[in-house]
Amino acid sequence: MKFGTYVRTRRESLRKRNPSYSLRQTAGRVGIEPAYLSKIERAEFAPPGEDTIRALANDLGEDIDVMLALAGKVSSDLQEVIRRRPQLFAQLIRELKNLPDDAVLRLVREVRDGNW
Amino acid sequence: MIELQKDELLVSFPEVHPAAKLQISFQRTLRIPDDNQDYPLPAGLGRFPLHHVDDANTPEAWRRHGGVFLPIHQSEALWISFGSENEYPMAVKVATGKINAVTGKSWDNALQARPQDYLVTPDQPWLDGFNVAKNVVRQFVAREFGEGLTAEEQLTGEAEWGGIQLIIYPMKAEEYERRLARDELASRSGYFDILQCIAVGEAVDMGLAAGGRIRQIIEKDRYGIEVWDTSVHSRCFLHLLNSRAYQAVTGRNPPPSPCTPEAYAENGIPWFDYHGEGLGLPPSSDLAGLDGLAAALAKQGKSLDHNVPIKVTDTVLLGPSHRQVKDGVF
Repeated sequence: MKFGTYVRTRRESLRKRNPSYSLRQTAGRVGIEPAYLSKIERAEFAPPGEDTIRALANDLGEDIDVMLALAGKVSSDLQEVIRRRPQLFAQLIRELKNLPDDAVLRLVREVRDGNW
Repeated sequence: MIELQKDELLVSFPEVHPAAKLQISFQRTLRIPDDNQDYPLPAGLGRFPLHHVDDANTPEAWRRHGGVFLPIHQSEALWISFGSENEYPMAVKVATGKINAVTGKSWDNALQARPQDYLVTPDQPWLDGFNVAKNVVRQFVAREFGEGLTAEEQLTGEAEWGGIQLIIYPMKAEEYERRLARDELASRSGYFDILQCIAVGEAVDMGLAAGGRIRQIIEKDRYGIEVWDTSVHSRCFLHLLNSRAYQAVTGRNPPPSPCTPEAYAENGIPWFDYHGEGLGLPPSSDLAGLDGLAAALAKQGKSLDHNVPIKVTDTVLLGPSHRQVKDGVF
């Protein structure tokens, strides 16, 4: 599903129970113009920047990483994690990419015991 | 296996039994006066934050040890909390500066029965200090290395290790299942939630000195040493980082100052007495010979700040038929 379609679908679903999720009011809370939000939802504009996506996710009660992924982005904090140790995380992600969900979730970080 | 989650050490032995789990956290608390009076248990005032030593700018020695660290202020107290959702018994050895906090002996990994040099959870829900007298401990109080005040320095003459060392052994699975079937595992542990207190004060490495006296029973092992599965264990070295260095080491804001006796009293935070059903261990003669922090400082011509006797008014009795104390935020 495209980012814009996802946002509109979610907003319209919320509006059925809560009129404050009109285009105008949602845009107002997120801090953008209603016309801009309308064009994003109709994919006439590219997805907005991370800050706006974050505000939208918060307002709509959606997961930020899912929203960013739909917009073709990765959150800046995850980018920073990868940037600090690019080879390590690149290797990790490539090795894990085909594992089923439960196998990935089983990976834990243990407290390391050393020499004492 | 030990994981670090939400400032808790989560110890598990999935290879022994799926229920073999223990949660260990380190609680901020009021430093009680070192005035040779015996005080009840002070409340927990929130967990110390825990970090992997590999995640921050920590000394090389800490990285060799592995483990975790927490920030603590000079002369701040702590107690160790043992939580057990499944009530799966574990044997836990606790040392500071590699001096066993129960027996005063030098660290070794193995469990000893005579004298018993370990705690048994969940029968023992927390440990506040060194086993110095019958049913009395001297509170764990952090001090910088080099002053000769920590238990390690007093007993060994050296300031080498610092921190807190733990090793945990689970009960054998078949022993657990047998006792579970007979319903013999009813916990004796009291339980209370943590109360929050808003504290109204380059040497990086710290150890633990013996502070004021607290009434606390260290429970005797009611199962016997043969029930512990010594083919597996988990160890952790917890380093104590002087709070002054926390921002430099982690990049995070320094933790709040410790709670003062005045703030503790003004917020109506109660004290606790825990009456277990088991027998307490005898005191350690080595640890009984430790100078309390106030006396040790006096020998150096110094004094311990905020060391005025406290009048304890409200004491909550905890025990096997416990009453839960609700969380509060002040």
